[in-house]
Amino acid sequence: MMERTTLARTTSIWIIAILLLFILSVVLGIIMRLSQGGVISQSPVVFYSQMTTHGFTMIGIWFVAGMVGVNYLMQRYVSAPVKSNIFALLFTIIGVVLLWVTTFVGKFHTGWTFLYPLPFKIAWAGWATPLFFVSLTILGVGWLVWSVSLLMAIFKKYSITRALAWQHFGKNPSFETPPFILITVITLIGVITCLLAAVLLIVLFFAEYFSSGTFVNDPLLMKNLTYFFGHTIANEMLYLGLATLYELFPEVSGRPKWKTTWYVALAWNCTLVFILTAFFHHMYMDFVQPESFQIVGQVASYLASLPAAVVTVFSVLTLIYRNSIRWSLTNVLYFMGVAGWVIGGLGAVIDATITNNLVLHNTLWVPAHFHTYNAMGNVLFSLAFFNWAANRFAGIGESGGANRLKIALLLVGGTGFLLMFYLGGAYSIPRRFNIYPMEFSLAASFARIAAVFAAVYLAAVLIFFWDILRKCLKLLTYSR
Amino acid sequence: MSDKHEFILVLFLLLAALVAIVFVYVYLSSGAKSSQKEDGKGLNNTQRFWFFLLLTAALFIFASFTIPKSPYYLFEKESPSRVVFVAAQQYYWALSSEAIGPGNPGAGEAIELKRGELVEFRVTSLDVNHGFGIYDESNNLIAQTQAMPGYVNRLRWKFEKPGTYKVLCLEFCGLAHAVMRASFTVR
Ligand code: HEM
Ligand SMILES: [Cu+2]
Repeated sequence: MMERTTLARTTSIWIIAILLLFILSVVLGIIMRLSQGGVISQSPVVFYSQMTTHGFTMIGIWFVAGMVGVNYLMQRYVSAPVKSNIFALLFTIIGVVLLWVTTFVGKFHTGWTFLYPLPFKIAWAGWATPLFFVSLTILGVGWLVWSVSLLMAIFKKYSITRALAWQHFGKNPSFETPPFILITVITLIGVITCLLAAVLLIVLFFAEYFSSGTFVNDPLLMKNLTYFFGHTIANEMLYLGLATLYELFPEVSGRPKWKTTWYVALAWNCTLVFILTAFFHHMYMDFVQPESFQIVGQVASYLASLPAAVVTVFSVLTLIYRNSIRWSLTNVLYFMGVAGWVIGGLGAVIDATITNNLVLHNTLWVPAHFHTYNAMGNVLFSLAFFNWAANRFAGIGESGGANRLKIALLLVGGTGFLLMFYLGGAYSIPRRFNIYPMEFSLAASFARIAAVFAAVYLAAVLIFFWDILRKCLKLLTYSR
Repeated sequence: MSDKHEFILVLFLLLAALVAIVFVYVYLSSGAKSSQKEDGKGLNNTQRFWFFLLLTAALFIFASFTIPKSPYYLFEKESPSRVVFVAAQQYYWALSSEAIGPGNPGAGEAIELKRGELVEFRVTSLDVNHGFGIYDESNNLIAQTQAMPGYVNRLRWKFEKPGTYKVLCLEFCGLAHAVMRASFTVR
């Protein structure tokens, strides 16, 4: 049976758009590595506009990918929003197009963190700075409306305390909150908080921009706000992917559904609190920041990541260990994604330790760990959902077709690409260098090797895209 | 690669390999001829409680070990015998023994430090954020602090090895970020 609801159609349009943008962004990534490897030569302007586009697009698409999955699966429990979903789709498309115009036509190139006051030191077309903030505003509005409407849909059926599974802290809870609802609520609260911080940040930027010199921002405050937004969104999007894992992994594996227990509830409630203070680890090297924040940063970084990871890994491993599992592309991707997430998380925890940060901050160790839990973690969670949904949309079961090949290419390509970043970090090579100085004799070779492996990863993505596209188009072209 | 970087890399690779082995092992353990335990529960409630407690304790021990080694507390009790003022600007570093200002742009001054003396770098920026990263002769990053407009970050350090040290920019600051550099010597 083919599923022909508006939500299914919208979801399939999202999936196609996300994968298209993903392919383009991976190509940009490969071009950057080739450029750093000296294989091709690019001007700094071109390199850095590319880097800004790559970073922004990647963060944007994997955030919306998580939202798409959560929105779709939500209909199992509550009446899932459709209008705000379509609204967000339109706003995302407009926002992304404007963003690409600012970076590719306007040559705007602050990096995706647009750290104050860099956007005001205009080294690009003058209109690009205001247009950049306009495009951020459009994305922010679309996503804020969407995430609030998802949360409201849940609160219509579950009270706040039940949505947060607090009854599980008592003895013999009379009501069970599904893990999917718990994780979704925790994550959406975080998402809304950091989007609000982004709104404040944009307002402050605009205030200075239009004040003609009478209003000046505080650089330390702006840095804190920037990372509160940037760090939090980058982490929450992973948890959106995890919410779909909690819902689909046991089901696809042919095992009983997971239940919320006291420790699952505790771990995710911890995440809610600590994720919002972990961002302080981005300011470790700002020695003027109050020392108490620095310590909170380290402790919160541990507490934000570890309980959720331990509970999830426990659940996934005990589900599989010595059990008969119906393996398919969907659950293999989820399974590998958890491993990638954990390995990237270890790299992150090492870097979130202040004494290590002194010698790792802004070296290639940083893209190393965040690419691990993105390219080999969150991306795999979303691909798992895409694959599952596309099969459903096309009305077919889990199919074979080049599965081994896809998985092998992803694994080999991803591992080689990431290893070059880690080695670069260990050799103290700075991140965001368009060309490497002579002293770093191995840096260019690392970049060239990484480009080759990334191309292997890209090959896997292309096969995925082809397969999923065909299935989604089957739904979209089906005449009513 | 410095000892510290090597330790970090090896630690990470070992942990990553361990995770990979566990996942592969568990994957291989699943299959048709398995024991089919229906409840899917591995540990009981008390065991879980202890596991959590142990994990939390381990984290706090690790944190209490590493936090005191943070750069903010380095040589906190001593007073520096040498102060170096650092002002960053797109795209160069000014290092000077005197405070940098309109009267003293600080550029072009050669900085020479003595082995083992306590140096305090007072780092700021005159435009955007930059990163003051100190590299030793073997190109290892040994310490850093951010150069931020409107603020002065104080980094204290004792150089044990004589030689030429490089300063590279460790915060993206624009087009020439990768070539923004300076150096000083330690005798
Ligand atoms: C195989 C695929 C990918 C390749 C080849 C690639 C390549 C790169 C390269 C070369 C850089 C610049 C590194 C530097 O600082 O020198 C970069 C930065 C970045 N990448 Fe990727 N990447 C890939 C996948 C991803 C994914 C899946 C994400 C998802 C979030 C992502 C997010 C980012 C971000 C946020 C930055 C930082 C941009 C900035 O510094 O402003 N990348 N990537
Ligand atoms: Cu700089």
